[in-house]
Amino acid sequence: MKIALSTALALIAAPLAAQDFSEGSKARSWNLYAEVPARFEAKVVDVTCELTGNCVEDCGAGSRQMGLLRTADDVLVLAMKNSQANFMGAARDLALYCNQTVTVDGLMIEDEDLNVKNVFQVQTILVDGADKPAKANKGSKLWAADHPEAKGKGAWFRRDPRVKAIIADEGYLGLGLEEDKTYAEENF
Amino acid sequence: MRAFIAAALLLAPMSVHAADGTRVQVKGEIIDTWCYYSGVMGGPDAVVGSAHHTCALWCSAGGIPVGLLAEDGTVYMVLKVGADDASAGGDTALKLAAHTVEADGMLYERDGLNYLIVSEVTTDSDIVNRTHEDYGTIPAFAFPDPNK
Repeated sequence: MKIALSTALALIAAPLAAQDFSEGSKARSWNLYAEVPARFEAKVVDVTCELTGNCVEDCGAGSRQMGLLRTADDVLVLAMKNSQANFMGAARDLALYCNQTVTVDGLMIEDEDLNVKNVFQVQTILVDGADKPAKANKGSKLWAADHPEAKGKGAWFRRDPRVKAIIADEGYLGLGLEEDKTYAEENF
Repeated sequence: MRAFIAAALLLAPMSVHAADGTRVQVKGEIIDTWCYYSGVMGGPDAVVGSAHHTCALWCSAGGIPVGLLAEDGTVYMVLKVGADDASAGGDTALKLAAHTVEADGMLYERDGLNYLIVSEVTTDSDIVNRTHEDYGTIPAFAFPDPNK
């Protein structure tokens, strides 16, 4: 009876206590103000599917935001970023592991000033039985596979056809080409 | 005692998965959530509006979550806009980068985050937040030097 009571009380208290997932993390610092290294086991999920029941094959294959349903406490962590420093999110990298249980390592952002927690930059993904974790750095290669028409030198984000079209129409500031012209004259 | 344990187990939220949505109408700016939360480019006031328009396009196209920053500071993670459910790199959200909009949709709250399924963008005011006047462009290389 004592054990049952202790278990019941622990279940109540668990969400109240902030858990530390930094143990064993080998995440590389990005020198972010509110970064916290975190390594944890989780099921890779399509966030829209998880929340609303609107599910698609392969978790959308990179077209939908991906979450990490943490085994230890059932918390849904939003994967915002992969490990590349080139404006790539985590959706393409994580969709490769759709509905699998993996161990991820990376940086949690926990900022009380901005009232945010449970958002994550994933750096590595370890599948059960694998010798070593895979780097979460495939986003730009997968982008290139999706955009053969944009093949060329330079960063992917300078070659993205949709981005180029919007900038050509609205300018870098998004306020129209005349505003861009004025800005360039004043700043260069 | 059995009744107490049963009640305690009922109170424990561990088995809750599906969240119930709530119909909401919100007004705010479509932002790049990674730069906003991580501080990687600077403070939150600098990574919104016209200063950050090009970077917001890059991040949205790269699949970084798009958010709606409401006037009260609440951030809603946008998972769908109208018929476009491509929440990572979708066309509709991309075109709204840095725009101030009014949206009608369903709100799902889960583990401290607000997720928004936008049924309809009822008003699109384009970019009204002229942050480049205070910050230039963030990052600076977002606006290429026309002399080079």
